Amino acid sequence: MKLFTKLTLFITLSKMAIVILFVLLLPLLVDHVASRYNDYYLGEQKKKVLHVIQQNGIDFYLQGEDSYGSYTMLKEEYISLEPVGKIQIPDTIATLRRIVEADTLTYRVLTHIFSYGSHRYILEVGKTTETIGQYNRPLQAVALYVLIGLIVMTILIDLIFTRLLLRPLGQIIKTQLLNRKFPFREQIPPVNTTTTDFRYLDSSLTALMDRIKTAFEKEREFTSNASHELMTPISILQHKMENMLMDGALDEEMQHRITGMMKTLNRLKKIVQSLLLISRIENDQFARSDTFSIHALLTEVMEELGHRLEDRELQFSMNISQKVVLQGLNHDLIFQLFYNLVNNAIRYNKQQGKIVISERKAGDGVYAVRVTDTGIGIPAQELATVFNRFKKVERTEQEGYGLGLSIVQAIAGYHGISLEVESVQGRGTTFTVLFPPGVLSPSPGKNFNISTTGNG
Amino acid sequence: MKVLIVEDERSLAAEMEAFLKKAFYLCDLAYTAKQGLTKMEENQYDFILLDLGLPDKDGLHVLGEARKNCPDAAYIIITARGQLEDRIQGLDLGADDYLPKPFSLLELQSRMQAIARRKFAVSDSVMALGDFTIDMNKRMIYFGEEEIVLSRKEFDLLSYMLLHKNRPLTRMQLSEHIWGNFSDDDYDSNYIDVHIKNIRKKLAAFSSVEWLQTIRSVGYKIKV
Repeated sequence: MKLFTKLTLFITLSKMAIVILFVLLLPLLVDHVASRYNDYYLGEQKKKVLHVIQQNGIDFYLQGEDSYGSYTMLKEEYISLEPVGKIQIPDTIATLRRIVEADTLTYRVLTHIFSYGSHRYILEVGKTTETIGQYNRPLQAVALYVLIGLIVMTILIDLIFTRLLLRPLGQIIKTQLLNRKFPFREQIPPVNTTTTDFRYLDSSLTALMDRIKTAFEKEREFTSNASHELMTPISILQHKMENMLMDGALDEEMQHRITGMMKTLNRLKKIVQSLLLISRIENDQFARSDTFSIHALLTEVMEELGHRLEDRELQFSMNISQKVVLQGLNHDLIFQLFYNLVNNAIRYNKQQGKIVISERKAGDGVYAVRVTDTGIGIPAQELATVFNRFKKVERTEQEGYGLGLSIVQAIAGYHGISLEVESVQGRGTTFTVLFPPGVLSPSPGKNFNISTTGNG
Repeated sequence: MKVLIVEDERSLAAEMEAFLKKAFYLCDLAYTAKQGLTKMEENQYDFILLDLGLPDKDGLHVLGEARKNCPDAAYIIITARGQLEDRIQGLDLGADDYLPKPFSLLELQSRMQAIARRKFAVSDSVMALGDFTIDMNKRMIYFGEEEIVLSRKEFDLLSYMLLHKNRPLTRMQLSEHIWGNFSDDDYDSNYIDVHIKNIRKKLAAFSSVEWLQTIRSVGYKIKV
């Protein structure tokens, strides 16, 4: 889960929890406050009554009667004043039932006993419990609305701020990791943020990438330079041997030896050329802008290799649609890729074996070509390393140079092609070349634009 | 024909000179761009073999200047750089051919011969070979008036051996000429044998092919 999603979830859930807690507590809280306030109110009423008695005498209420009672129109409140005996109790506030004019109502009643003159009186100030809670409901509703409004506002503010805060991180992930393709050639500007953590992360990533880039470039430069430097001495040796071989005075034995030397030199030449080709591919020295028919390309490959097929009496079949047109690739490199695969299929096949080239179209725009042979196969433990440079699979007679499949891999990597290899020892090997989506040209049969660029 | 070799590797230049001398070319050597340009001012050349990796000047610059002095010469660029842009740029600047190092001297001569035929209209395109005549331009071989049909690769082989007649050619050299960079000595030399056998069979139906000799453990030679 992304950090922002997590934070969003956390913020929303925590606020929701607060709202639920508040909703649960609100009635209790409001009731409590209302009853506390009511008690205070009753106390104030009592004080008023006592004040009036003090000012005007008790007869202001009693009017010569023994006791006094008064209530409001709807009986929400009442006051009663009665003489009382010798009992002495402190002020109490209690919920009691009182009969007022034949109506039995529940009141919150404050009872106060006081002396006036030689008499003792009991004063009761009551308020119906119904009226105590009369504003609770609207108050609760208002409180809830305000709360929900506030929560929504804070959630919004939190999300906006979190988003702003996390934006540099997203930017770092996008520019430094997602959008970067090996070998990280483009320079990335530092991310614009005041958050030191992100700055540190960004600069560390940049430094790390730079180190990888430098190491990779060094290796590439070395391969390229070493190969170039090797070309001149190889040339000199080759020319010397060619000139020696032409010397009429040489006997058969010497001619034979020179031929052997030339063969070895030729092998060296091929290794250096292969390394150079790989380093050129890795140096982006080939354009990926050709559009061509895969059928035509494979036919070219087979024409080039026809004599080797014949020589080994191999049966060959190709099931490739003539309509499939690929685009955005380098024709010569793709030629080399299939050339090497088919060449291997011939080289490691058995006499009178078979080679099948077939195609497969997956739903998601992936186009695949499979090269299957009936050769000696590759042992399972060597399948994983089959594309490594100079990794040579144990062979019976012929010796490979160990670079054919490395070239295949370099070309594949350069074009975003994935390679799969399956093999059963003694039965044969299948190489699958999976072209990335977007390579299949939408207008089959048109736009042929094979640029005839050499492979340098 | 007069050839100027502009190459800073002295032993490479020396080997090229030795080879071309045997093919009756007259050779001059220059080891720097400056030397080369001076020589071009003093002499006229038919061929100028120009290494791009000269110590004092970039070969492609030299090519531009050289063409002012020797506009009629055929230029062959030789380089270890071998980059595609170099090749395109070189050919754009008026080079006639391009050979990436390491190349075979036989290939060099073959290219020079092709340029000569094209550029200088050298009329040695019809050659006698034993009782046969070969027309290099039409790519035909005749016995008297009769035309003998060879496959494309068979004709390539025969004409290449004829160009380098009296020299032993290894199977590897032959297969490299026919299949270029894609040649693979491990199993193409076998196929050269098959081709030679076919050529012999087709020609022997008309006359003796003793001139096409097998050199044991090396390869083949046309001896005339």
